[in-house]
Amino acid sequence: MLRHIDTIAALATPVGTAAIALVRISGPEAARLVRDIFGETPVARLARHADYRDVAGMLLDDVLFTFFAGTASYTGEDSLEISCHGNPYIAQRLLEDLLARGCRSAGAGEFTQRAFLNGQMDLVQAEAVMDLIQARSERALMAANRQLRGALGRQMTVLIDGLLLTLARVEAYIDFPDEDLPLEDRALVAEQIADVLRGTDRLLATSHYGEVLRHGIKTVIIGAPNAGKSSLLNRLVGRERAIVSPEPGTTRDFIEEVINLGPHCLRLIDTAGLNPTPGAVEKLGIGKTFEIAAEADLFVVVVDVTSPTPLLDKVLSDRFTVANTVVIFNKTDIRSPATAMTEEFLPGLKATVVSVSAKSGAGLEALRMTLAELAEGLAPAMGDDVVAINARHARALGQARADLAAAAQKLEAGEAAELLASDLRGALVSLGEISGKVDNERMLDALFANFCIGK
Amino acid sequence: MIFNKIKFDVIVCGAGHAGAEAALAASRMGASTLLLTGNIDTIAQMSCNPAIGGQAKGQMVREIDALGGEMAINTDVTGIQFRLLNESKGAAVQSPRAQCDKKAYQFRLKHTLELQPNLQVFQATVTSLIFEQGKVVGCRTNLDIEFYGRTVVVTTGTFLRGLMHIGQNKTEGGRLGDFSAKTLSASFLEVGIELQRLKTGTPPRLLGRSLDFTKMLEQKGDAHPTLFAFHDTRDPQDLFHVEQTGERRLGWAPGGEQVSCWMTHTTAETADIVRRNLSKSAMYSGEIKGVGPRYCPSIEDKFVRFADKPRHLLFIEPEGRTTNEYYVNGLSTSLPFDVQIDVVRSIPGLEKAQLLRPAYAVEYDFAPPTQLYPSLESKRVENLFFAGQINGTSGYEEAAVQGLVAGVNAVQKARGGAPLVMQRHESYIGVLIDDLVTKGTTEPYRMFTSRAEHRLLFNHGSAELRLLHHATKHGLLSRSRIDRIKFKRDRVQHWMGIFETKRSNGALWGDLMRSGGAGVPTPHSFSDETPEVRAEVVYNVIYQGYIDRENRHVRKLSHIEKIRIPADLDFLAIRGLRRECAQKLAAFKPFTLGQASRISGINPADISVLMVLIESSGAGESDQN
Repeated sequence: MLRHIDTIAALATPVGTAAIALVRISGPEAARLVRDIFGETPVARLARHADYRDVAGMLLDDVLFTFFAGTASYTGEDSLEISCHGNPYIAQRLLEDLLARGCRSAGAGEFTQRAFLNGQMDLVQAEAVMDLIQARSERALMAANRQLRGALGRQMTVLIDGLLLTLARVEAYIDFPDEDLPLEDRALVAEQIADVLRGTDRLLATSHYGEVLRHGIKTVIIGAPNAGKSSLLNRLVGRERAIVSPEPGTTRDFIEEVINLGPHCLRLIDTAGLNPTPGAVEKLGIGKTFEIAAEADLFVVVVDVTSPTPLLDKVLSDRFTVANTVVIFNKTDIRSPATAMTEEFLPGLKATVVSVSAKSGAGLEALRMTLAELAEGLAPAMGDDVVAINARHARALGQARADLAAAAQKLEAGEAAELLASDLRGALVSLGEISGKVDNERMLDALFANFCIGK
Repeated sequence: MIFNKIKFDVIVCGAGHAGAEAALAASRMGASTLLLTGNIDTIAQMSCNPAIGGQAKGQMVREIDALGGEMAINTDVTGIQFRLLNESKGAAVQSPRAQCDKKAYQFRLKHTLELQPNLQVFQATVTSLIFEQGKVVGCRTNLDIEFYGRTVVVTTGTFLRGLMHIGQNKTEGGRLGDFSAKTLSASFLEVGIELQRLKTGTPPRLLGRSLDFTKMLEQKGDAHPTLFAFHDTRDPQDLFHVEQTGERRLGWAPGGEQVSCWMTHTTAETADIVRRNLSKSAMYSGEIKGVGPRYCPSIEDKFVRFADKPRHLLFIEPEGRTTNEYYVNGLSTSLPFDVQIDVVRSIPGLEKAQLLRPAYAVEYDFAPPTQLYPSLESKRVENLFFAGQINGTSGYEEAAVQGLVAGVNAVQKARGGAPLVMQRHESYIGVLIDDLVTKGTTEPYRMFTSRAEHRLLFNHGSAELRLLHHATKHGLLSRSRIDRIKFKRDRVQHWMGIFETKRSNGALWGDLMRSGGAGVPTPHSFSDETPEVRAEVVYNVIYQGYIDRENRHVRKLSHIEKIRIPADLDFLAIRGLRRECAQKLAAFKPFTLGQASRISGINPADISVLMVLIESSGAGESDQN
């Protein structure tokens, strides 16, 4: 019987906010993961409540986990199901941690495929699954091909050609030691590796754009407790989403909603109020606000014009620019804002200011327009020529990067050429995972085109 | 007329480097074997340069020895200069190379064939094959004698419709002075085997006493030759069995003198002559239709494609001890003879050179090897095997390994046993055959170390250990040699265990060795081991991290390599396979899922579908072919 040697993990529930999210893991490492993450001996089919701490020991969430042994699981392998709070951010962190612990991100239909291969399904079911697997991968292929024809394909070609030439330069001296080759130029190889590394880094840096395109522009609503952030979110979304209460500090978890403004998709994230003298529970929420704000694309700063707001933390306000921040004077139904207010609360900030009453809805249209303009301003950076790699690409590029860095190090240490070549080949395989397998013939083409080989 | 009215187990057509190994492998396995050759005086002839080994090829020759073949021993006994290439690099990419005495090489191999039990050698040109119900059953010869066999191995080299070019001059034949197999191609076409054309070439041969060696740079052999055969695991009785008949040893003898090669180079005048006469070259005038190799360009190609390179290195190699003939390595050409003389005489040291034989290009038929199973049996015609240049390869070593594998598998086929199929992570032979049958080739295929993704596992000294299970399974080595190899393997493992557990002052011995610094303890008992065992231990310890990494990659890939695709699987009927993919697979008939995954244009999703299907039907374990 076929032995799967790796352990796969994936989110089993749809991406988005819900009561709970389910992360599913299947493979030989499932039992070890129970021991490593929760410090417990796995007991089959017993739901356990536990803290989920990441590899670094940081608490991510409290979760329910259930271990399934061998043939009694859906896939027929040791499996683990973890239910966490239904917050995409938490689920994402959990998944990232599982990958860091050695799991592989599951491919489309892979759990079902394993279930089938392990004899957990009959033939009739299996045929249906096969159609499913195929349909999904074809769609995935179409999406990938779109990018391959476009900017990503072009940039990958540049990277791979550069790497092939570098590898050819190294291989020539291994395979043709007796030939009349020019003196081996290790400095040139070092330069080429550095070049490919830079290209890899440039692509890796775009992983954020991919995130934006796929999940929307990350827009964080920030303000003091009871400034009306949740009311504003509800207004923008058009329905009651966040619990609104006159009691400050109600929002401790993060509410996330996606709205469309013209061609743009914004992911609105409501955060815990920034109380300068927080209680213990509030502190935890504020810490998370900072974490989320650190990755935000746009900031919506809500100021309650009826009660003077303390200054925002400098770590936060330093990130505000006229291109990514809109300041909202809220509760204008109660009091008109003084023009000097921005200077008072956010000294030095040049941001668009919009007066709104979240309660009455006044000024909301202006706010929508302002947000759309800011989104438009971000868009050129994500235009046609900029690629947007996804998590799979990022993983492959990261792997290639590690191999390239190892190669550069070996070169500097003067290690044997075949070891250097081994790293460069590893990088080539990783890049090939994005744009299709790179056949060795192409390396030989580069080699024979650049060196006169042949006695 | 039917020869002897015997039905042989194996008939081998052709006695070059592929045919000789095929015949020896088959007869040594105890199969009744017939070797047919058009000219018994040119058995195992080195038609091109008088050398064996070199990068990747040297490792393959050692693999031949690990599988009971003859090329390694034959080279050791008839070699006249030995060099280890890449000595400054790691052991994985070091390769032995030897200049051989061309005639001695041939004579010794001919003698070996003559003395081989179960083997009959006969001179006759095969004119056609005899087929019955889609199977090959024998062959007809120019003497109107028919031979019948259970299996037939075809090794035609460059003789299949061979056509030689010297400028505008065209001569039929596979080698200067030899014939052309003109009618055999029709036999293949008749049963639907596709043929294409390839081209190769060879430089002129010069008379030594007309050369001025003082103007050249001497290239001597190594003081301590690296031999090809594993003499450490051989029973003394196994050694040099031909020599034991009383014949004297022909090549280099330990303590004896090696001969030298000489280096010179082309000049501006050479470039000028070549450029002025380009239109007269058979290759550049469009006379030649076949595709030549990129790695072995003619002198015309070198001056055209690398126009900015002022000069090209040439090696003057002796063809033997008892001849004054020299080979000009690097000067392959299809220019007319008068131009060749001018080209040769424009080279330092060759100003007064006399040509003994002109350079020429040769075109020949080959059968694209994607028409073969990994056993080298034809997918079209049962019991028919192909080996050597007919599969699109180039080189004596490449031919020999295929001959060996085809010989073993012809016997296995006749006996109903499982074929010898090596994996890509086991040997260069495995890489070569997988490349051929999976990807095919558009130029004469030569092995490079860079073709092997796991070459760090292929250090030449480990060939016997790597291939022991194959040699054992197919009975390719004597009992005593297998015992010695097992003993050697155990010694290596024993010492690797010690180096990875023992510590001095807290430091692991293995780490001390890997750091390359002083202070590596070498216990007396380790010094007592044979140099071969020590070298293998040191290699494994020093490269441990890399070898582990390779092995991890191999394990990751190995599960799909093991899943066999049933021969009768109807790809076109599989729902869920893309049409284009299904057609490709149907045309190709891959042997395993691993092989299917290496076919160009087949993507992982397709493999998943196949995997699901094969596993579900429980057919994945069955054997075929």
